[in-house]
Amino acid sequence: MSITNEISLALQKGKRAQVQELVKKALEEGVSAKAILNEGLIAGMSEVGEKFKNNEVYVPEVLIAARAMNAGTAIIKPYLAAEGVEPVGKAVVCTVRGDLHDIGKNLVKMMFEGVGIECIDLGVDVEADKIIEAVKESGAKVIGLSSLLTTTMVYHAEVIKALEAAGMRDQVKVMIGGAPVTQEFADEIGADAYTSDAASAADVALSFFKN
Amino acid sequence: MTERERFIKALKREPIVGHVPTFELVFFLTLESIGKIHPSQQTFGQWNQMSASEKKLHIDYCADTYIEIAKKYHHSAIFIHPNPGDFDNTVRLLEAIREKSGDKFFTMMHGDPTFSMPEGSNMMEFTERLYEDTDGVKKEAQRRLESHVRFAEKMAKREGLLDAFCLCSDYCFNVNPFFTPDMFSEVIAPYLKGSIDEYKKMGFYSIKHTDGNIMPIVDQMVQCGPDALHSLDPQGGVSLKEVKRLYGDKVALCGNVNCGLLQTGTLDQVMEDTRRSLREGMDGWGYIFCTSNCAYTGLPLERYELMNKIWWEEGIYK
Repeated sequence: MSITNEISLALQKGKRAQVQELVKKALEEGVSAKAILNEGLIAGMSEVGEKFKNNEVYVPEVLIAARAMNAGTAIIKPYLAAEGVEPVGKAVVCTVRGDLHDIGKNLVKMMFEGVGIECIDLGVDVEADKIIEAVKESGAKVIGLSSLLTTTMVYHAEVIKALEAAGMRDQVKVMIGGAPVTQEFADEIGADAYTSDAASAADVALSFFKN
Repeated sequence: MTERERFIKALKREPIVGHVPTFELVFFLTLESIGKIHPSQQTFGQWNQMSASEKKLHIDYCADTYIEIAKKYHHSAIFIHPNPGDFDNTVRLLEAIREKSGDKFFTMMHGDPTFSMPEGSNMMEFTERLYEDTDGVKKEAQRRLESHVRFAEKMAKREGLLDAFCLCSDYCFNVNPFFTPDMFSEVIAPYLKGSIDEYKKMGFYSIKHTDGNIMPIVDQMVQCGPDALHSLDPQGGVSLKEVKRLYGDKVALCGNVNCGLLQTGTLDQVMEDTRRSLREGMDGWGYIFCTSNCAYTGLPLERYELMNKIWWEEGIYK
């Protein structure tokens, strides 16, 4: 078994210390940071995401794997910069105005990062203006909006209207999600995508960057 | 038979005549409905500075608010949010409700010692504890259980005030529970059962609430022995008909009118979902009609009133 496979398997089990050791060992053996990232860390996190989508693992299992991934990524970060490895793309994520719930948004962020997307996390209770400003500053091509409440999900539409008013609607893909959100609602407000879980959101976001 | 007695019969899954009982875990729309501020939305920063008569006026206001809403919508039960929430003021509020309405209504309040799923800000820390300090998590769960039991013991000495505790820790997302079934059996179920057993010994009923998809853990929840499950969230894919088929002989069921539809559905969808819930819930006994969460801030009042009107006209055991 290759060392990157070992990293992937250790990550899937959430073995943070083991991932750290293996990443260091891989670097010592001359494996590139890019290979460690793609074939080890991202590959492992993708497996976890796939299982999560299929209801084979639960959120704590995802979180503990993400923690291992972050630990491994922290070690290779300077090497990635030296190798000139860029993130897959950038995404702005937040929970919309009036809504203070962040577990869904944080899961999406984790899954986005798990596939190599850099996230600009604006937090909770976020106004459309702030989202637009973040997109302008970062050049993000994807916006991930979250809401838990039926009373706040309507604000997703306000963000889309604000993007249109700012002449930026064509520059970004707007993804929405959260407990009360449905595909029907996403279609109604003109969102580019709705997903019912964080792992699927990462897949869709990745497809936006690849196309 | 009083509304309280009818509610108890529903909890016991016994036959009743007339309307299927209804209530809301929380009815926040009091200002819009009856012109009174919901007790939980009032701030009493100078409570201890107030004279006894002023405190009584405030408590009476809260009691009147609960009673007026219950009467207006024909609720059989009142869920209180004591404010201030200490023991003595909780007792005063319950006494005021009983003084003003006798034993007409079933009374309940929060009382869940178990962990709910964490917020995003502490989800990693909590998860780390679940994996790396399971014994510490269990010790904390035990402490929480003991604290709730102590509160219930004090309340039990005030006979005739409180009927039930609602155990409102949320465990589930729409897709799945936060906790794996194994984690649930280790750090939640023993303490859920422990509290319900103790409440039962003291004569209190227990209603277990959680949003989301409960199906992977519902068997464990039922085995903990609550008198009822609330709120059978259709947005989490929970089917009232299926839960009734599986557990209708073991536990009463409350809820299932889709809050998502109440908020954003068409009027036809609201009416259809209300009728579906009544149809599926009233098949047999042991059903308490209500929303799949609560009448929360921001819910269009007219949608709630439409649902309530249909229940009034059609939610009758023949």
